[in-house]
Amino acid sequence: MALIQLEEVSKLYGFGDAATLALDEVSLSVDKGEFMAVMGPSGSGKTTLMNIIGLLDKPTHGNYYLDGRLVSRLSSNRQAKLRRDSIGFVFQFYNLLPRLNVLDNVALPLAYKGMTPVRRAKRAGDILELVGMHDREYFYPYQLSGGQAQRAAIARALINNPSIIIADEPTGNLDSQDSRVVMELLSEIHRQGNTILLVTHNPELTRYAGRVIYMYDGTIVGDEKTPLGQMARHARRIFFRKPRTTEDDITAGVSAMLKEIPDRAVTSQTKRRKPRGKKRGLKRRVTRSRR
Amino acid sequence: MWNGNFKTSLASLRDSRWRTFFTMMGIIIGISSVVTVVSLGEGLKYQITAQINQLGPNVLTVRPGKLTSTGSLSSLYSFLAPSTLTPKDASGLRSISSVRNVAPVEFVTSSVRDGNSQLDNVFVAGSSSNLGTILNQPIAYGGFFSDSDQTDNFAVIGSAVAANLFGEFNPVGETMQIDGQDFVVHGVFTPSSGSLLSLSQADLNSSIFIPTTAAESLTGGRTNILQIFVQLRPGSDVNSSVAQANRILSQNHGGANDFTVLKHSQLLGVSDQLVNAATRFISGIAAISLLVGGIGIMNILLVSVSERTREIGIRKAIGATNRQILNQFLAEGLILSIGGGIIGIGFSYLINLLLRLYSGWKPIISLPVLFLAVSVSVAAGIIFSLAPAFKAARKDPIDALRSS
Repeated sequence: MALIQLEEVSKLYGFGDAATLALDEVSLSVDKGEFMAVMGPSGSGKTTLMNIIGLLDKPTHGNYYLDGRLVSRLSSNRQAKLRRDSIGFVFQFYNLLPRLNVLDNVALPLAYKGMTPVRRAKRAGDILELVGMHDREYFYPYQLSGGQAQRAAIARALINNPSIIIADEPTGNLDSQDSRVVMELLSEIHRQGNTILLVTHNPELTRYAGRVIYMYDGTIVGDEKTPLGQMARHARRIFFRKPRTTEDDITAGVSAMLKEIPDRAVTSQTKRRKPRGKKRGLKRRVTRSRR
Repeated sequence: MWNGNFKTSLASLRDSRWRTFFTMMGIIIGISSVVTVVSLGEGLKYQITAQINQLGPNVLTVRPGKLTSTGSLSSLYSFLAPSTLTPKDASGLRSISSVRNVAPVEFVTSSVRDGNSQLDNVFVAGSSSNLGTILNQPIAYGGFFSDSDQTDNFAVIGSAVAANLFGEFNPVGETMQIDGQDFVVHGVFTPSSGSLLSLSQADLNSSIFIPTTAAESLTGGRTNILQIFVQLRPGSDVNSSVAQANRILSQNHGGANDFTVLKHSQLLGVSDQLVNAATRFISGIAAISLLVGGIGIMNILLVSVSERTREIGIRKAIGATNRQILNQFLAEGLILSIGGGIIGIGFSYLINLLLRLYSGWKPIISLPVLFLAVSVSVAAGIIFSLAPAFKAARKDPIDALRSS
């Protein structure tokens, strides 16, 4: 049976005219031990999907089964406990608490579980050893490099032996060397049988994944299995895609030009009256076209 | 769980220690002013009780106006009104068979001169020679004036008056001026711990007693008898004496019920009530600063909640329940208020010490007051941090994570 089972899950934000459909009847099932990458442009619903799977958010419609159990309609209190015990989050900006040292940061989920401080510290120390951060236990987050902070965050995500690890652009803020270290670590965790969901913009990272889904406008538009170590086919296409002109782009260009014409007329008028008018008009035109 | 909360709360409070200090300041001022006011009241009660006990159980006190057992504030007003007691009442009381001594206390003035220096906060009263035996206060130098001295300008003075006017020397035989007349010091009391007249705040140490006749010549016969002390013979029945006194006085006053005869135990009760009423009133005013302090805590916690929105989001994402977030901020508020309460108590001990050193007040900080102060600060902490804590707990984790 699938570990994660989404049935026609929709998520609607806002009311009336301001309403946006972030997820449109998404169905998805992820098995235990899968390393799944999620790709798609900004605003395509990747993060909303991860928030729903991570129980940070409740779907407007549809059902979500985690390990065979309907969890989408649990109380927020139960969801918090499930988050604590079965889900580990890794964020783009690490999200370590600045006032706590690395050891306390990693042990925090155990504190919410009610474990004694000594056992907490011991377990956190073990996990930190696993991610190679044993010598940084008493450092504060601001004393760490990006890669080290992200490894500490991964340690925190791992501490409760979660069944899912959700990594939302974990390398988005790292240089290539740190990215590599972090991805190798996630890959190692995957090898030990963990389920990992990775949101990324970088097609190169799909090499680590065994499955890639593509999202667009709140729906899953592609779902492919790829052998480990190889970049996904569609991802590569996204990666090497040259900007192409479509009919939509032409329409957009024409309307932009139409807006440009009265603008120019204004510019020539103001030029006659004020010497600084041209400069201002140019500036305005530049910002327009950039948009 | 609570252990962990206190640790993180302490850390975050330490992070902004100036803000923490000024937030605590409100509670510190509130608690220390309430504790000081109540301890001043306690001290006053103690002094009055000591004085009443010094008079002994066989002394009755007659006061002008009707003292009811419930309306303690109305008795305050009656104290301010002109007296209804007359010298005729005093002589009438003397005729009761069980009465041994009667001493009226007439208020004369409150200032006294000695050549170049003037004292303004003294209590000059006229009385009979019997007051000396009734007061039961040892005389340090000289003696109380006797019956034969009634027409002479003699004065018996308290220890503070003696020290202020004549310094370290034995003042017996020295002269001072009261309302332009010369008075010769006849005796000096030893320092007293109690205040003299149970209901007035006059201190025996700053009192001056002169013979009734001399007092009447000063006031021009307009006597203002504050109270009449009636000493009974040992072994006589107190209740029947009270009944007799009531009968005689009501005859004198033509049946008007404008006086009160108080037994020793009633006197204690009335003075307690009076002091309690005053203490309650003033500490009520002081408690307003406590309220302001509590609102300060609420304010700072609200700021802290919005500053730490992201932290709340992270904590929720890694599995903190709403209850656990609530507890964290409650703990912070409690630390602020209990810490403020404890510092406030320390502060009031300091004020206590300074008052005892540099003023005539002798405040007493009792255990119940401390208990009250601590429980009030705990209550204030919980009440005023509930709203910010709920605000923190109800934050949506996604919005909280997105905020910077």
